[in-house]
Amino acid sequence: MGAAPVPLPGETLRAVAEAVLPAELGDDGRERAVAAFERWCEGLEPVAELSHPYLVPETRYSGPDPRPGWAAQLEGLDKECMSRHGVSLAGLDTAGRRKLLEQPLEGAGPGLGSPANGGHVAAALMAHFYSSPVATDLCYGVTIAKQQCRGLEGAGARPAMGAQP
Amino acid sequence: MTRVVESDVCIIGGGITAAMVAERLAERTSATITVIEAGGRTASLEERAGTRARMLAYGENPFPNDHIPDQTGTGEMYRQMVVGGSAMHWGGAVPRYSPEDFRLRSLYGVGFDWPISFDDIEPYYQEAEERIGVAGEQGPPDCDPRSKPYPMPPLPLSYNLARMREWTERAEVPFWTQPWARNTEPYRGRNVCERCDTCAVCPTGAKYTPDFAFDRLLADGRIGLVDRTLVRRLELEPGSDRIAVAHALDRAAPGDPVEFHAGTFVVAAGHAWSSHLLLLSATGRFPDGLANRTGNLGRYMTGHWYVSGYINLPMRLYPGIFANNSLLSHRFASPGPLDRYLRHDLRLWESGVGRQPRLRDDDGRLLWGDEIMADWRTRTESGATARIRAYYDVIPDGDSRLTLDAARTNSLGDPMPRIDYRAAQATLDLESHTRDTITGRFEHLARAADGTVRSTSGSRLFEHPGGGCRMGDDPATSVVDRWGRTHDHENLFVVGAPTIVSSGCANGTLTFCALSLMAAEEIGREMPA
Repeated sequence: MGAAPVPLPGETLRAVAEAVLPAELGDDGRERAVAAFERWCEGLEPVAELSHPYLVPETRYSGPDPRPGWAAQLEGLDKECMSRHGVSLAGLDTAGRRKLLEQPLEGAGPGLGSPANGGHVAAALMAHFYSSPVATDLCYGVTIAKQQCRGLEGAGARPAMGAQP
Repeated sequence: MTRVVESDVCIIGGGITAAMVAERLAERTSATITVIEAGGRTASLEERAGTRARMLAYGENPFPNDHIPDQTGTGEMYRQMVVGGSAMHWGGAVPRYSPEDFRLRSLYGVGFDWPISFDDIEPYYQEAEERIGVAGEQGPPDCDPRSKPYPMPPLPLSYNLARMREWTERAEVPFWTQPWARNTEPYRGRNVCERCDTCAVCPTGAKYTPDFAFDRLLADGRIGLVDRTLVRRLELEPGSDRIAVAHALDRAAPGDPVEFHAGTFVVAAGHAWSSHLLLLSATGRFPDGLANRTGNLGRYMTGHWYVSGYINLPMRLYPGIFANNSLLSHRFASPGPLDRYLRHDLRLWESGVGRQPRLRDDDGRLLWGDEIMADWRTRTESGATARIRAYYDVIPDGDSRLTLDAARTNSLGDPMPRIDYRAAQATLDLESHTRDTITGRFEHLARAADGTVRSTSGSRLFEHPGGGCRMGDDPATSVVDRWGRTHDHENLFVVGAPTIVSSGCANGTLTFCALSLMAAEEIGREMPA
């Protein structure tokens, strides 16, 4: 393992989450999504060997550590907000936060990609949430529970209704 | 100081074909068996739940230390060099080749006939399926003949695949479940599949990987497994064409050479490293490499190409339940008489393509919060996507070659393999006909569901590769005979992928295993019972 990860400023990260994650998650669902992203950040290992693509003999590695950059981005957002509006990002309304995030996300998309692909922390947070089983179930309104081991019983059944955030 | 390891049979390579040969010989003879693997051990079954979690979260390789950094070549080849080989990572698709694959020249006037027929190999297909543990359902007997049932019932269809099969029935193109090396019942001490949907790394042990066979043979004291040991050269007996010694390097003690002495040598090092070792072993009487008196070594490298596509279906599906199952049609691999040659398989999967969450809409506008979810829902409620792919038969050219690459050496100075695949002119002449016909079949299927073909693409990647030591009755045009015995060296066998004549239009591993079991039968005849 490398050096201890740089912690992300939690309050600002949560302010970003409120602007970019779906409101239908509610406060608890959004907090779970942010906490999952923080745990994911803690476990991230830079320059790790990646899965081999089929029939490619060269080894591939993940990129350098994005966390110091993400921490700096969050601190920068807070400073810019303070400078422009006289409040921290958490003190700004959702529309104002999105306005501040437009420029950093200019080159992002159209897809969400992988959270580890660097870029802006807001894009990484969204990519992490939308690739999760929770987001899939919320979208479809059923319990798909992707990537969960489940046995062969009931394999042909339609997924059960009623996924909650 | 040189270490000497002696045995009746020395198997070079520690992948799935080595496991087949070792297991059969261990069961049916009292021969002493040594298996040499250049790589080491990777994640044990107990560790795979953890490595699977990191693969899902971070994309990391779930089988750490599964390769040797400087032991790699150029061209399409597998990276893995580890106990278990590339079948540690495999998905476990185990279709048989079809009867036509073995008689292309006779039936269609293209390519080459094999020296064996489907009937010759069929008992070994069955044996391989039983050793691996295959779950499957028989297709139409005229396209998918078999003498006995699969060892296990097929994987059950998910809700999504069941709906997709109903659709294909409307198109009158019947599909069956792909046969898999995944248990649907407890089998040989291994668990039942839990549909974890990460078959590249199975955390339950329901998918066959060769380490299970090696561990059992080791526990029974029936083999010696020498890992982290790279065989660099085979040496002839003085004054004879028999192989006497495999010279190797213990990667943990590189200063101490290792010699493996045996009565029979089996090269089971996969499609790239088998030819490579024989080329590296060039000597005075065989200046172009062992088993290469007629210049066929490293030639006719083969694989199949594909056309793939995505079909928009006006139905509600829920992708993500078990995307690692698929449907398979046998019909187009056994097409009957043809005006123009084309044979292919046809596979169907559920897919999320075109229906994933996204940051920008079609106009490039940035989406926020609930807008992303609303946009995603709209695209999943309006229909579903099916992935479709056809592997088609590619005739290998004689100049489709593996050679030693002097420009790329490992840390020992050994030249690494370079593969320059080449399709025969017959395949190139048929390529647009092939792609047009397959695309037309995609469109036919789409119309039957009132759907549309969303996109198609073609690939010239030589998938499921083999060749380099192809089998034949005539030493002038082949390297090994039907049993894998090299024409030039009576105690040297090559098994599995390198010996195939062509790649057909189905995943090759089961055929590689069946051919290895054929070789093991021949080897066993010369061993004490």
